[in-house]
Amino acid sequence: MMNAARVTKFEKPGAGSDRPAESGTEAVQAIGRALEAHYADLVHAPLPDKFLQLLARLEDDKSALKAEGKRDALD
Amino acid sequence: MPSTSFKDELLAETRNLRAFAISLSGSVSLADDLVQESLLRAWSNSEKFQPGTSLRAWLFTILRNIYYSNYRKRSREVQDSDGLYARRLTVPGDQESHLDLEDFRNALTKLPAEQREVLTLIGASGLSYEEAAVVCQVGIGTIKSRLSRARAKLVELLQLDDAPQPPVERKVRRAG
Repeated sequence: MMNAARVTKFEKPGAGSDRPAESGTEAVQAIGRALEAHYADLVHAPLPDKFLQLLARLEDDKSALKAEGKRDALD
Repeated sequence: MPSTSFKDELLAETRNLRAFAISLSGSVSLADDLVQESLLRAWSNSEKFQPGTSLRAWLFTILRNIYYSNYRKRSREVQDSDGLYARRLTVPGDQESHLDLEDFRNALTKLPAEQREVLTLIGASGLSYEEAAVVCQVGIGTIKSRLSRARAKLVELLQLDDAPQPPVERKVRRAG
């Protein structure tokens, strides 16, 4: 019976509470999940419009510059 | 030369870039300044981006450089004042690994910046070890050791190691 209990314990790491040496795996998994949840909150936070506006403006400026360049070339 | 699709690609990465910036600086308002500056710099240096490589890693590198050269001192003053983390959430898991997200965030702020950064890049932003090494300008070995120290520190801070005493040698000598 002792043997059977010990085998079970070794086959299911983390299932028992008395396996300090092996607790890393489960703990690291918990940390991984927490990190993902934490980061998902940040990624899904509302994005300020100013970034969209900035990129749109940069693109407009580029088009405007291009158009100007073309006009210069035609003159 | 920047093309329409480059703009769209930048836009698609902006959320992730901002999340990284918040993790790095600890402040939403600083992060927004950082993102703005990074997008500008990326746009004007677009010819330096190598197609086929990770745009995310490239943007992270730009943002990180800006942060460490101009913003790092400011960040300590305004940290955590934005109320972004006001909610209390629990991370799903089995009964032994429930982690309160607020506890987790507190623990995260106690990590050395270089460890928090690597943990974020690998564990959350989806960068490879190689990409993280490029972003942080260190070798892959350094990335791996920072990652493992970060995890060990969090295990300690969050008391996830449920051993009441230092680990007792329990290993049975293997046959053969």
